[in-house]
Amino acid sequence: MNIIEQFTPLFAPKTVAVIGASTKGNALPNVFIRRIREFGFSGDIYPIHPGAAEIDGLTAYKSLADTPRPVDYAYIAVSGAQIPGMLAAAKGHVRFAQVISSGFGEVDEGKGLQDELVQAAKAGGMRLLGPNCLGIYTPRGRVTFAEIGPKEVGHVGIVSQSGGLGTDIIRRGLSRGVKFSGLVTVGNCADVTPSDLLEFYLADPQTKVIGMYIETAKDGRRLFDILRNARASKPVVILKGGRTQQGLAAAASHTGSLAGDDRVWVALARQTGCMLVDTLDHFIDTLLIFQTLTPRPQRPTRKVVLFGNGGGTSVLATDYFARLGLDVLPFEQGPIDALAALKLPPGTSITNPVDCPVGTLQQDDGRVAEKILDIICGQGKPEALVMHLNLSAFVGRTKPEVLDNLVAAAMRVQEKYPGQSHFILVLRSDGEPALEARKREFRDKAVALGVPVYDEMANAGHPLAALAAFERYKAVRA
Amino acid sequence: MIKNQEDTIVSAARRAGRQALDESAGKQLLASHGIRVPQSRIAKGVADVDAVMQGLQTPVVVKVMSPDILHKSDAGGVKVNLKSVAEVKLAIDGMLNAPKIKGARIEGFLVEEMAPAGHELVIGGLRDPQFGPLVMVGLGGIFVEILKDVSFRLCPIARIDAEEMLDELKGAAILKGARGGKPASREAIIDVLLKIGGEDGLLLKHAADISEADINPLIVSDNGAVAVDARFILG
Repeated sequence: MNIIEQFTPLFAPKTVAVIGASTKGNALPNVFIRRIREFGFSGDIYPIHPGAAEIDGLTAYKSLADTPRPVDYAYIAVSGAQIPGMLAAAKGHVRFAQVISSGFGEVDEGKGLQDELVQAAKAGGMRLLGPNCLGIYTPRGRVTFAEIGPKEVGHVGIVSQSGGLGTDIIRRGLSRGVKFSGLVTVGNCADVTPSDLLEFYLADPQTKVIGMYIETAKDGRRLFDILRNARASKPVVILKGGRTQQGLAAAASHTGSLAGDDRVWVALARQTGCMLVDTLDHFIDTLLIFQTLTPRPQRPTRKVVLFGNGGGTSVLATDYFARLGLDVLPFEQGPIDALAALKLPPGTSITNPVDCPVGTLQQDDGRVAEKILDIICGQGKPEALVMHLNLSAFVGRTKPEVLDNLVAAAMRVQEKYPGQSHFILVLRSDGEPALEARKREFRDKAVALGVPVYDEMANAGHPLAALAAFERYKAVRA
Repeated sequence: MIKNQEDTIVSAARRAGRQALDESAGKQLLASHGIRVPQSRIAKGVADVDAVMQGLQTPVVVKVMSPDILHKSDAGGVKVNLKSVAEVKLAIDGMLNAPKIKGARIEGFLVEEMAPAGHELVIGGLRDPQFGPLVMVGLGGIFVEILKDVSFRLCPIARIDAEEMLDELKGAAILKGARGGKPASREAIIDVLLKIGGEDGLLLKHAADISEADINPLIVSDNGAVAVDARFILG
């Protein structure tokens, strides 16, 4: 059985069993039943209960072995000590069991119980997810543990060792336009590990980008081998929590005392082309850039043009991008002459960064901006173009459609020079509710068109640098 | 043939319950992987020195061999730049009377040709409990000790990894001959890195037995690299 066949019952289950739902309808598993029904799950749901005949209007069964059809996915949230017995009794009737309950390997007194759980899952013939996690979110299978999350099946595959962070990733991803092919929380990883899911996502045609939140990699060597063999076929973004325990003071050699902290993760990234990020924001921002833009190893990103309103913002961004290894360098004479010939109003800077006051940007319903962009892309030939708009400067001074016109102009120029420059939009705002609402609406439109949108220049810089690093890696190695 | 010899070095040390390879065994292990080590011979004591010095080029260095002494220099167990039989004998006499050596179990004295001048590098290895063997490179002296200017990779490394490891060092320019110094042979460093951390390298081959390794220093001139001291921690 190949990896896709192995994991299809998890990502697109036809039957779901739920252990821990109460007849009163108020336990976490009752909420889970409600959520997957609302999410559009159309397969069979089997509540498992020792006494009840019916739960939430569904026929209940006494054990995992008693359901009418085999169980693809079992969601289990009851007190830990009862679970091993229930799994062992499944007798090959269950494909995946996800144990939400805690009190296992994450606490000293639960380590024995976790061993029992693993043995029971093996005896019952199933793969085990968790324990100590929150569940899965799989839009293709219409199963979710999360309160919110788009039904649309996206291209970003996630595995998270933390359940709570998994929820954050869905929620924040949603607000920034990230769409998921799946998200699995794996908690203590007693059986299924992040490496297993990485293997699945690498093979899964629906998944274009992979994100992993990892605290400890018990099978680090396997993770390395999988990433190495994948030869950066898909971008993999790793958010690493906690640090390895080498570099102990007791280490007798130089090398031992120098290894310390996270050098092993830095090595992993350099050798396999996966990308390490430090914060949840960088994680989501980086996933977004790979969801929307196609890496271009044949011409790795280095030269960047900044175009927008805000002189100080341009200067600060030039510094910031330079620190990330991206060049914002003045144009050569050709494009400068061409831009000068446009006879733009005073206050417009036509080297790079190209700084245009709102007045210039809105001239002729954005048609002047289109001419500027045409010269930037056609003659400046940057590898990336970052258009930044300070929304506060637009409001009350321009017609509402100016933003649409500007982005439409940029898209037309993109089409004219296909594959020339990655296009990124930065929509700056000051938190004022009306501006935020406008930004949100506009962001959704842009992301749907394949344009990544960021809140500030620095937020755009990190993912762009990650994209550049990925392209360089592939250029040299793949 | 070579494999048997290596097995003997590492497995003999483990059978003897040693926690580390002694310097001489460590260098034999390196030599069996094609890494240059200085010519050396072992003198049991002062009486052997005349015979041992036959066939060695001066100047030489003398190092005490003892399972009780990990830091030989600190204990007064290293004497360098000895130019004659008489100087070697004097050095050994001195060590036998040094306070930190007197009470130790002494297995002999390593008499070794001094390496030609060059850049001092450190190449090391470490077995991570989750990821397995890692290989490290850094410039010697303050670069490693104070600035921690080192780079790590997971084994096995390919040639391109070895190149990137060197390029990543903040002191990389020094190896290229910055500030009027002679350049170090980049080829020679890469060759040693691959022999230690590569696909058929020492660290992967002995992953089950070697927990830490240090070649410190590796002296690299413009035409080659010599491992002047080596330590392998077993376990």
